[in-house]
Amino acid sequence: MKLFVNARYLIVPVSSLLTIFGIILGGLLAWVGVFLFGVYTIIDTLTKDIHLRAEKNQDGESYGVKEFQYVVMYIMLPVFILLQIVLAWRLFQFTSGVGIEPLQIGVLNYQTGITLTNLIGATLSTALWAGLGIIYGHELSHNKKEGFFVSRLIMALSGSAHFTYAHVYNHHLDLGHEDDPATAPRGRNVYAHTWLSHAGQSKFSYDLEQKKLRKQGKSTLSFKNKWIIGYLYSLPSVFLFVWAGGLYGVAALITVWAISNFLLEALNFMGHYGLIRNPGEPVEHRHSWDNDNVFTSWFFIEIGRQGDHHVRGETYFWELDDVGAPNYGIGYFSLFVLTLIPPLFRRFVKKLLNDWDKNYATDAEVSIANKFKALGIQS
Amino acid sequence: MFNLFKKSKDHIADIETNSNTIALKVEKGKTLLNAALSSGIAWPHKCKVGSCGTCKSQVLLGDIKAQIDFGYVLSQEEIEAGYVLACQSELKSDIKVKIKLIE
Repeated sequence: MKLFVNARYLIVPVSSLLTIFGIILGGLLAWVGVFLFGVYTIIDTLTKDIHLRAEKNQDGESYGVKEFQYVVMYIMLPVFILLQIVLAWRLFQFTSGVGIEPLQIGVLNYQTGITLTNLIGATLSTALWAGLGIIYGHELSHNKKEGFFVSRLIMALSGSAHFTYAHVYNHHLDLGHEDDPATAPRGRNVYAHTWLSHAGQSKFSYDLEQKKLRKQGKSTLSFKNKWIIGYLYSLPSVFLFVWAGGLYGVAALITVWAISNFLLEALNFMGHYGLIRNPGEPVEHRHSWDNDNVFTSWFFIEIGRQGDHHVRGETYFWELDDVGAPNYGIGYFSLFVLTLIPPLFRRFVKKLLNDWDKNYATDAEVSIANKFKALGIQS
Repeated sequence: MFNLFKKSKDHIADIETNSNTIALKVEKGKTLLNAALSSGIAWPHKCKVGSCGTCKSQVLLGDIKAQIDFGYVLSQEEIEAGYVLACQSELKSDIKVKIKLIE
């Protein structure tokens, strides 16, 4: 059981390595990352009704092995760096005009050079898996100093090192309230949320640093400012892509950052859409949506157990459990597809929000929900 | 990262409360707050991720290892006076800490 519980969280690491391998081999295999995303969306949809509780031994302890899970999460940093390096290498080949020729290396078909179509595939593959890798940036943001630093570096690969501070000091404190940019209010779509949440979290992180440095009598414009340092962490990616691909490199990096941040904000969007917390009241299980079908749980290292995570923020992901939080009833992949079509998503979520208003919300929260309804925003 | 593989060493926190002093064993790798809550001590807390400041307490003697920078939640004066966030503090030595418990 211990082996199974720990190994099941390796879907993303293995898939990221397959994506890297596909880009290295080239040709149609550069699309492996996109293909896997599609396959996983189907698996997630097919397993939407299978749910498991967190397994524990006879002493009530989790089977998760902390040392193993941490080593995996830390190793994901060089994996994501390698993902960017192989894309940059392919960009370099493309802009240098390296000829496209098949080459047999043992049983492997390697293709020298890359076509524009397959370069697009490699870029999309990199973007999707850089975005999905944000789950490690999230998990590590809640843990010790070393983990927090690794989280910052992982997020910096997507130009979002500010997330680590904003997530802990803003989202976990102000969840379900307008002071939290990562909580999507009723009526907002995922596209608007991506911009508003990203900019809002970055601003929060800047204000947090400014406040801290003022308290310490230091200048905001200094290398003590973690908001500035965070963006500097992203510079190696910028230099790499500009050097490797010039304008093509800039376009590729913009694509990688745009898609990976879109996935990050889509997770925030899905995690708390439309849920309301009366200011001053503690964060409870009802302020988060759970997505905990078996595939989503294993793939996203239990990030879908949002209800438990937000009440026990210090808890390792493998210990999170079903706590009776409101549940979408489908996994993240399936729900993500719905969010891409806002009218469809709002139709889907309307019944769930009505149920939340009726069965979960306090009177004060219902009163806030009614203000949205008075504006014609039902879901 | 290599701290994960070090041999554990427990420490004792003498907790000075509103009414008495409690001796609490804090295992290596466990936060002061979690050790207290596991022992049934009603330590005030809310977010448990170091952002709300509810678990703030004053260390009178000894050293702690801060898991995060307290400067975002505590003022410079509080930090200088020994205040820490119990949810983000491991013990580096035996300590004496003052806290007003939930009654």
